[in-house]
Amino acid sequence: MELKMPEISETTEAAVITLWHVAEGAHVAKDQDILEVTTDKATLDIASPYDGVLIKISKKAGEKVEKGDVIAEIQERGR
Amino acid sequence: MRIRDLGIVGYKDAIDLQENVLRRRIENEISDTLILLEHDPVLTLGRMESEASIIDRAFFDKKNIPVIFSDRGGKITYHAPGQLVIYPIVDLREKKRDVSRYIDFLEKTMVRAFDGLGVAAERIADRRGVWIGGKKIAFIGVGVRKWVTFHGACININNDIAPFSRIHPCGEDWIKVTSVREILGRAIEMDMAKKVFADQFIKDLEAEYGIKNAGNI
Repeated sequence: MELKMPEISETTEAAVITLWHVAEGAHVAKDQDILEVTTDKATLDIASPYDGVLIKISKKAGEKVEKGDVIAEIQERGR
Repeated sequence: MRIRDLGIVGYKDAIDLQENVLRRRIENEISDTLILLEHDPVLTLGRMESEASIIDRAFFDKKNIPVIFSDRGGKITYHAPGQLVIYPIVDLREKKRDVSRYIDFLEKTMVRAFDGLGVAAERIADRRGVWIGGKKIAFIGVGVRKWVTFHGACININNDIAPFSRIHPCGEDWIKVTSVREILGRAIEMDMAKKVFADQFIKDLEAEYGIKNAGNI
């Protein structure tokens, strides 16, 4: 499943990925914070919506992301 | 909403306590909490900052003022006793999940609180923080975990603002800063300042987010 950048604000267009808490290949749990993004004055943790394995990081630390951008791919458990 | 006034506290102790309150709020063990404190002298760098914004490192080293990288948003700022720091731990999970709106709210409530102190502060479009006469008097850097807020804002009340000239505040070389003491020409009671900011925050939080004050628990 694609993990898309969620909406964090109606008015803030873009954020920057500051760090990934997990690496490709890691098991991730639903609701586990797996990366952090930052706007000009706020940092936000983004959680995995699924149980599974993080098979691909599509946007690396330092890259700008907007709502709806695919930032990772997670293979759901049992699929 | 409950209020915790930590007084003057070391940076790490304050952050450890905040982490504990944040974790317990996420687990719904406690209600929203407004942490009020003054940090011992410290330079903190937010996620988007580098040490290049410290102009005069020797000035801070000579005074044994530590430089700490923080997980808040924003860039560099200086904290010291006499500066009021507010860390609102507020659960937005069932509210409007909009980080810009929350920062707008923080700025607006601080402008009103300054008014209560007799200081005519303002917001400036496309610039974050709170300003007076083109100088910055309050600074914002927040964190959001599971849509519960942490970190927050710092407000120059009585603190010496000279150290700000040894850094690029917020990573910008043009920003000048001021304080309530500089504007009014006298120091004010910190307890009074805390009460004005806390009361305004609680009132505005209810108006903006419908979060009621349950008193000091």
